[in-house]
Amino acid sequence: MKKVLSLTLTMAMVLSLAACGSSTSSAPAETTAAAAETTAEDTTAEETTAAETEAAETEAAEAETDSDLAYVQDKGTLVVGITEFEPMDYQDENGEWIGFDADMAKAFAESLGVDAEFIVIDWDNKILELEGKTIDCVWNGMTLTDEVTSAMECSNAYCNNAQVIIVPADVADQYQDTDSLSDLSFAVEAGSAGEAEVDALGLTYTSVTSQADALMEVAAGTSDAAVIDSLMAAAMVGEGTGYADLTYTVGLNSEEYGVGFRKGSDLAAALNDFFADSYADGSMEACAETYGVQAALIEQ
Amino acid sequence: MSLILEQMPVVIGALNTGFIQTLKLFFVTLIGAFPLGLVIAFGSMSRFRPLSLATKLVVWIIRGTPLMIQLLIIYYFPGLVLNNPIWGGGETGRFLAASTAFIINYACYFSEIYRGGIQGVPVGQEEAGLVLGMTKSQIFWKIKLLQMIKRIVPPMSNEIITLVKDTALARIIALQEIIFAGQSFMKGSHGISGAIWPLFFTAFYYLIFNGVLTLLLGRLEKKLDYFR
Repeated sequence: MKKVLSLTLTMAMVLSLAACGSSTSSAPAETTAAAAETTAEDTTAEETTAAETEAAETEAAEAETDSDLAYVQDKGTLVVGITEFEPMDYQDENGEWIGFDADMAKAFAESLGVDAEFIVIDWDNKILELEGKTIDCVWNGMTLTDEVTSAMECSNAYCNNAQVIIVPADVADQYQDTDSLSDLSFAVEAGSAGEAEVDALGLTYTSVTSQADALMEVAAGTSDAAVIDSLMAAAMVGEGTGYADLTYTVGLNSEEYGVGFRKGSDLAAALNDFFADSYADGSMEACAETYGVQAALIEQ
Repeated sequence: MSLILEQMPVVIGALNTGFIQTLKLFFVTLIGAFPLGLVIAFGSMSRFRPLSLATKLVVWIIRGTPLMIQLLIIYYFPGLVLNNPIWGGGETGRFLAASTAFIINYACYFSEIYRGGIQGVPVGQEEAGLVLGMTKSQIFWKIKLLQMIKRIVPPMSNEIITLVKDTALARIIALQEIIFAGQSFMKGSHGISGAIWPLFFTAFYYLIFNGVLTLLLGRLEKKLDYFR
């Protein structure tokens, strides 16, 4: 009896131990199959047998070494990592993703013959998401900094942006040039272009997790000023917004937006071609006009 | 203030959607962790040394590392290291990964509470069973189990209430639970941008849900009073 019991328990334990590792083996059948093996017309994911899954895995590995483009076309979807960011990526009343970036991403996916799927990610984890293949690109008004270009395969710049200083509206007239900023304490997004700027100017600053957090710091009075993207500032600060008491003053630098892909991916080159074509035929500018960003558009 | 009232319907709608994810994660974790915890408890009490040592090792690892890291490992590790993103990028994959991490983590905590409960049943109860000629398993299922359940209700209530709030950790893998939904209004979501209050407002959801849970668990404790 005892032996039977301990045997049962051993097996139960082995199973539950396997559960830790088996996050790798139990659920994967459908995802791997969907991700690698099948094309859009034939997704018999549930029926995939273990053998097929293995084949799919090797195929996925090959596709990765060969071509990221082929990998995306094989699985039939381009998974776009975004955060809600008006006017680049945001939802309309029906929950459809729209915005300059979202519309361009849809058009690009269509040109590859795949569907665009939008996934809201935690911006801090964008490189993890890319390398972990849970998304295929980061397309969300991403500033091309050294960190970004060294960690991702980036497209050509497509949009201009600047970093601007946010201060409470009632003291804004005291801070109209960079020299006046020295006695302020700043809140900036960790790893952002804004952080690099205030650091270069030798200003006192605190790093927070997002630009939105930086705004909250100013609103709450825990920091005197924040540095955020001008496109974002235009949408979020001033009369009629959630931050009616704040305003933006000095622009620190100018910078450019690009789209990030996995390191070494050939999708970046494909996107550059796509940008060039759609700029040439005017569709890119038309799209930019829809969202009021045509002034910031960069010639391709 | 009027701005808040204007935003209220949209925000409540979004927070409700987020809270449903929170509740789903909460219930799935409980359903998975209750039985798994019992299995682990048996494992750690086993007289078969390798089994009990292996179990204790697992419990040590899971209790000794932050749940946030476990979430990151379970979600990103397959794609990063094994080159096989089993969870996929979608909402369902993120939910499954989060559930897996939470079930394993909570099962380990539960197992220790179960162990305390089982070992806390007076030895006389077991001896009485042996005298009556019952087998070990009969003694467990017929004598010890209910007494153990009575003993573990207070510490389990504690863990269950902690779990409600711990679900917020799943935002690290971008599971759109209520905190994520609340925070997204700070950046811009559903046409509202730069609103701070929704994030703080989420606290009411937790507070009310935990209030209901506290009442239910209190009742359960009363019901089990007859074992005195």
